[in-house]
Amino acid sequence: MSDLADLEQGLGRFLGERAGETVRVSNLVGSTAGARRTNVLFDADLPDGPRRLVATILPTMDIQINPITAEAAVRGLAERYGVPVPHLRGVTNDSSYVGGPFFVSDCVEGETIPRRVLRLVHDREIGERVARQLGAALGRLHAIPTSEAPAELVGDDVADPAEQALAGVEESIRTLVPDRPAFAFGFAWLERHLPPPPDRRTIVHTDARNGNLIVDADGLQALLDWEGAMRSGDPMQDLAWPALRMWRFRYDDREIGGFAGREPYIEGYVSAGGTFDADRFHWWKTLGTLRWGLGLAGQAEAHLDGRFRSVVMAASGRRVPELEWDLLMLVRP
Amino acid sequence: MQPSPDAAALLSTIAELLDDELLAAVPGPLQHKTRVAANLCRILEREWTTGEAAAAAERARLAELLDRPDLDTAALRAELCTRIRAGGPEATSHDVWEVLVAGCRDDLAIVKPGHDGWEGR
Repeated sequence: MSDLADLEQGLGRFLGERAGETVRVSNLVGSTAGARRTNVLFDADLPDGPRRLVATILPTMDIQINPITAEAAVRGLAERYGVPVPHLRGVTNDSSYVGGPFFVSDCVEGETIPRRVLRLVHDREIGERVARQLGAALGRLHAIPTSEAPAELVGDDVADPAEQALAGVEESIRTLVPDRPAFAFGFAWLERHLPPPPDRRTIVHTDARNGNLIVDADGLQALLDWEGAMRSGDPMQDLAWPALRMWRFRYDDREIGGFAGREPYIEGYVSAGGTFDADRFHWWKTLGTLRWGLGLAGQAEAHLDGRFRSVVMAASGRRVPELEWDLLMLVRP
Repeated sequence: MQPSPDAAALLSTIAELLDDELLAAVPGPLQHKTRVAANLCRILEREWTTGEAAAAAERARLAELLDRPDLDTAALRAELCTRIRAGGPEATSHDVWEVLVAGCRDDLAIVKPGHDGWEGR
């Protein structure tokens, strides 16, 4: 990343070109949110007044699932359908401004780090409200006609998303954890309970978990990180992902992100037009749990074979039993 | 035979160094790695202390389940994986599930004590 003076100049030039007049940028602060991306908060004197904005900058060589312009476009589409997202001010693939592709959004105040989010939510006793709001946000997203999906958004219509996901994990089990019977047992359960293809495909966010949310004392303010959004998926895959135990951060009895049980979440989802399917939800939750275990095993593998030496990646291997436990609890005979 | 301190005591000492002294002194980006390293030392300390008994218990459970007292742990695990994949009764058996849960409980006692407190949805 370039230093702050270069960033200030680059962001001012970008916003100025878009506004057709000089835009002064000041008070830059690096933010902690986001693992690979850099978020920079700043003030800008826009033609319609001063604004606190945030620039989300990608490393130049980063491999994106979606091009950043597609990510921005699907987020804008979601905003038009009432999904809470930070309002977009501009996006570019041009690395000449700040050293990488980036987008600029309105800054939304609130917490994003899961444990802080949960402390706030439980201090204020708004867990059920946040769960309901998250359900409603996904309900609105899933109500968008897929014909409106941005042209460059990834995720072509596959005949059967569940079957495809299952084939993917089968391959990973064979290469990463062929000797761990808990994975074999979980996989056998998934195979036996494979749901039929969904009646309806929707645009899916794919990562709407605690950690990709901005929450303040009034509740859910924004759903972030649309990088992995897909144009056509099983809506229950999207709904189930935030229910993994992994995202509860020790509030294990609150299924949805540590906020609350599933009832308000599903109420919110249904009230926004969604249709809940409990069996399909459970299947995707189980698949997600198994897949997360494979992800951890893959990190350890990347450490051991030298692709990514890191004590954190090495430690991931020893986290595999956590996911095996969660998986076994979900497939109890 | 090595003199005292033994491996468990040394690992515990390294964990204390990382947590109590180095953590406060390292720059921000290294703090997470330092915590992870300290946690790994505590995992290894528990593994050193109880790992052997846990491995023996796993072997005994699997040998009884599969009725193959002749096999070692690695071969028993491979045999169970093969039977589950073949779609036989092992793929749906409550007895198999119980053995896997017991093994996982022992693994967690080393890597993440308390994680087995959750049995719900």
